[in-house]
Amino acid sequence: MEFVNIFVKSAFLENMVLIYFLGMCSFLAVSKSVKTAVGLGAAVIFVLAITAPINWCVREFLLKEGALAPILGDAYAEVSLEFLGLIIYIAVIATMVQLVEMIIEKYSPALYMSLGIFLPLITVNCSILGGTLFMITKEYGFSESIVYGMGSGFGFFLAIVGIAAIREKLKYSDVPAPLRGLGMAFILTGLMGLGFMGLMGIKL
Amino acid sequence: MKFLRNFMDKIQPDKAKSPFSYTLWDGIDTFLYAPGHVTHQGTHLKDSMDLKRTMIHVVLAMQFAFLLGAYNIGLQHYQALGVDANIAAEFVYGLLQLLPLIIVVHVVGLGIEFLFAAKKGHAIEEGFLVSAFLIPLIMPPGVPLYMVAIATAFSVLIAKEAFGGTGMNIFNVALVARVFIFFAYPSSISGDTCWVAYDYNILHQALNFGDWLHISAGTAMIDGFSGATPLGLAVSGGWEAIQAATLPSGEQQYSISNMMWGFMPGSIGEMSKIGIIIGAIMLIKLKIADWRIMFSMVIGVAFMGVIFNIAAPAFPDNGFIAIPFYMHYIMGSFLFAMAFMATDPVTAASTNRGKFIYGFMIGVIGLIIRVANPAYPEGWMLAIIFMNIFASLIDYNIIQSNIKRRLSNV
Repeated sequence: MEFVNIFVKSAFLENMVLIYFLGMCSFLAVSKSVKTAVGLGAAVIFVLAITAPINWCVREFLLKEGALAPILGDAYAEVSLEFLGLIIYIAVIATMVQLVEMIIEKYSPALYMSLGIFLPLITVNCSILGGTLFMITKEYGFSESIVYGMGSGFGFFLAIVGIAAIREKLKYSDVPAPLRGLGMAFILTGLMGLGFMGLMGIKL
Repeated sequence: MKFLRNFMDKIQPDKAKSPFSYTLWDGIDTFLYAPGHVTHQGTHLKDSMDLKRTMIHVVLAMQFAFLLGAYNIGLQHYQALGVDANIAAEFVYGLLQLLPLIIVVHVVGLGIEFLFAAKKGHAIEEGFLVSAFLIPLIMPPGVPLYMVAIATAFSVLIAKEAFGGTGMNIFNVALVARVFIFFAYPSSISGDTCWVAYDYNILHQALNFGDWLHISAGTAMIDGFSGATPLGLAVSGGWEAIQAATLPSGEQQYSISNMMWGFMPGSIGEMSKIGIIIGAIMLIKLKIADWRIMFSMVIGVAFMGVIFNIAAPAFPDNGFIAIPFYMHYIMGSFLFAMAFMATDPVTAASTNRGKFIYGFMIGVIGLIIRVANPAYPEGWMLAIIFMNIFASLIDYNIIQSNIKRRLSNV
């Protein structure tokens, strides 16, 4: 029940894109067709679900105050490497993204081509780093952080696939010329956020 | 009527010379008379059922809920003041209370529509006629007019014209207006005090309405009258609290018959279940609204309601969870959302299988918001907006699966 709670909360009530508005760059740029959106969404789920627990381990066993003491002796009991956090989390994320990139290039070259520059750019996608940092402030344990990563990834997936389906439909609409493309995507994101606000405050 | 036709012909402006006044003229002309031009393409199209007639049928289907709602505004008003008024006075009070609301919505919404039609150089589209009638019906009776004006302008501009006008909006225009007020001015659309009209508005004052019954404008409401809606009561007390509520006269406030007729505080058009059901049957018979969405919404609520009922003993603090699932149908705005909001053919899923999924999910999510979200006791409007987002995705998946299935036959 605890895990279902975390999953639903991170996917719907605290949706990375539509509630916190994180990860907008790839959300707006890769949402022109459903197929590529599904690819990017799946990549984000994978990266988030792996980086959140790895970063949890990194922090727990290396960076936290006193985490080095069991390895290097009691002299290090008050040493905290938290200030290195951001750099190391980003390095972990970059490694994982490289891994995803290789897998996608091997098994689906078409998807690799259509994602283009936005696949390596997941590295600096705010929602991935956001996932790690939120997980730390919420003080989740190891297994909770896996569920949290999968939940936030699923929220991103839902949002980007949803907006991609709408944008495919919008191709046939008579949108005023100045709003075509990105302008419409921003308006859509706002209205979708309005829809997700209805779920805020649900207690499980 | 001949002179009206002659008059309209006489003042017809030149389309090439002054496009703006032609659009204006064309809008009024086709409103008064069936247009003279016929379908140009598709020889199989021989029905005179055009967009305008479809829209007018929806507006007609809403009239039962509208009239009962107008009467109810007056009834609640005089019950709150503790005055014995006759039916006519109650009805006229309600109508006068509603009239400024309807005028404001039409003036603001149609004004923007006129501007865009003239700017884009096409005839005025009739889609707003329905939204303009829906928006007043989903407002509380005492809502300040400027809020309605802002919300209408927002929804017509952002949720409709930006998307390309009638038939292309992704989100239901009337719902966006309501949700806008809901999040921008939460205090005037939720709580216990906004669901009954206490004051006299400009029209009442202009007609000296209070004098008819010898009531001065400042008459205070009597003790013992509570404007709390059944949903407001259920948050803390559950079904027992709804049953126990009484009027100052000692009568039970929320008996089943009162709830069915809609004689209780609430949004203007959402209360009279009987009027809404008549409208819903009319819409299904005329094949404007789809029975699939309505049916699957009912099933969705039953499904989620039974789950909540079974889980009820584990959550003693939640007042809603133990309410029998079939009672959810006659509380709040479920029926109105089902009949007039979810079935909007533009924003709902358009494939038949998709409609079942769409309606079912609205039922499930709406009940989750009602029961599990203490911040908002009513969630149908929010659930429909939420599912509007995913309607295109549902359609996309069903169309893709159809293509895949048929591809194997090639």
